[in-house]
Amino acid sequence: MEDKFDCIVIGGGVAGLAAAMTLARNNMKFLLIEKGEFPGSKNVSGGVLWGSDLNKLVPNYWEEEDGGWDRFINHRRLTFMDEQSSFSLDFKSSHFNEKPYTGVVVLRSKFDNWLAGKVQEAIDASDFAMDSFIATDIKVDEVILENDKAVGIKTGEDEFFADSVIIAEGVNNLLTRQVGLQDKYVPADHMLTGIKEIIRFDQKVLEDRFQLNGLSGMSNEFVGWATNGIEGGGFLYTNRDTISLGLVLGLKDLREKKQKPYDVLNHFKQHPTIADAIKGGEVVEYSAHVVSSGDSRVMPKELYKDGILLVGEAANLLMNAGKAIQGMDYAMRSGILAAETIVEAKAKNDYTSATLKEYRKKMDDSYVMKDIKGFQDAVHLLHTDVMQNKVPNLVCDFGRQFFSIKNEPTPKSEKMLLGAIKRHSSLWELAKLGFKARKSL
Amino acid sequence: MKLLSLPERLGLVSYRNQAKSEIKPHIIVDTDICNSTCPHKCTTWVCPANCYTMDEDGKVHFQVEDCIECGTCMYACDQGAVDWNFPDPEIGRGVTWNFG
Repeated sequence: MEDKFDCIVIGGGVAGLAAAMTLARNNMKFLLIEKGEFPGSKNVSGGVLWGSDLNKLVPNYWEEEDGGWDRFINHRRLTFMDEQSSFSLDFKSSHFNEKPYTGVVVLRSKFDNWLAGKVQEAIDASDFAMDSFIATDIKVDEVILENDKAVGIKTGEDEFFADSVIIAEGVNNLLTRQVGLQDKYVPADHMLTGIKEIIRFDQKVLEDRFQLNGLSGMSNEFVGWATNGIEGGGFLYTNRDTISLGLVLGLKDLREKKQKPYDVLNHFKQHPTIADAIKGGEVVEYSAHVVSSGDSRVMPKELYKDGILLVGEAANLLMNAGKAIQGMDYAMRSGILAAETIVEAKAKNDYTSATLKEYRKKMDDSYVMKDIKGFQDAVHLLHTDVMQNKVPNLVCDFGRQFFSIKNEPTPKSEKMLLGAIKRHSSLWELAKLGFKARKSL
Repeated sequence: MKLLSLPERLGLVSYRNQAKSEIKPHIIVDTDICNSTCPHKCTTWVCPANCYTMDEDGKVHFQVEDCIECGTCMYACDQGAVDWNFPDPEIGRGVTWNFG
């Protein structure tokens, strides 16, 4: 079969493109299939691409006049909210201005398409310039299995064959389910719905409002009142001349509490802190997408089987352990490691689990699985009522007292704090929380 | 800043094959299940595009046209009523994000 590829990559998101780039650089003959009009056209994320792996894929990407990314992050903020107040942990440092950047804000329709252009350049420079392809507007219906080993894919009446398949289809992982690596039905328990608006400003207004300098940017996460009692949190990221403002809402909780996600988003936008931040902006896009929570209990049973590797959100590689919502960086690293494993498999001419299990080992040795394993308790802790509601209320209550100057004798801060603790929680509950947090974070 | 209603928000979405009068639905909902044994009918509030609606008699109806392919209903429905798939690029609906 002369048309057979070394590998078919399903999905032109961050994970699939990272895999494709690595395959092209290693002179592999591959086909990347994207169901959208162009890579990124169906992709949604918050979103910040954390870490510096992008520099491995596109060295010195910041030198390009108008690259696919929007802004680099040098300003981080975590905000606790109650109805009227917001109390933030705020960290800004010129340390983060150094290259390679450790976080860039991206809009996927632009970023993924740009990255795909870089992959095409790598294909053109490879031995298979005429035989490797990025194909769009094709929906894969099925991974073809022979004796439970992947040998290709089926789309409509057409079939394409390959020694291996990298599934990079994203969180709604129908093919992962088809090949038996994930249950046919995945319950709502550890899944969330992300919902967001892109709000446009005059660029100068945006830069002044958020104190941005050149292409610097800010990421802000919110916990507490933002989600109107639904488990989850909010986010605000600065893009070039827009902001991404949204929420991530626990799906099981939405179901039980009978709330509509777009109503909760309007609730969030009415908070005085948010209302001031978005004043004068124009909403230019509304979007939504499911995300996984980082709870390892929902993850696929394995990351590989004969002829198949799973990467990115198809394998539920996403985690928010309190410091940042990480997903695209996991996607990128897993894509790179999967492609490297395929390169080894080709050298050995063995695409069975015997070789592909090396991918699992590479992942286990990488920060991705180390963090996902190491921070499971933090993921669980973040989703407790104490962290979701009591702590934000307590912190804001304390802040209101601490920063209020009245023309009367001021109580000592400790007394204010104890009062706030008693009103919203208890010393015992906080001691338990502190103990858990110390272990899990 | 003025808050947007859902129809105003969906008006900002670029849908594919919008000119086509007939499209092939990519999600098939067995509303017989919704309207007989389902204890919650949750899709009528969890869907970010309000593709699932409830009429005055409490019956669930589904229309695919506004779907933004988020996947919410596939997880939220625990009754087996939602047969979820991605739209066909040629004859389906679905989205092309301008920002994403």
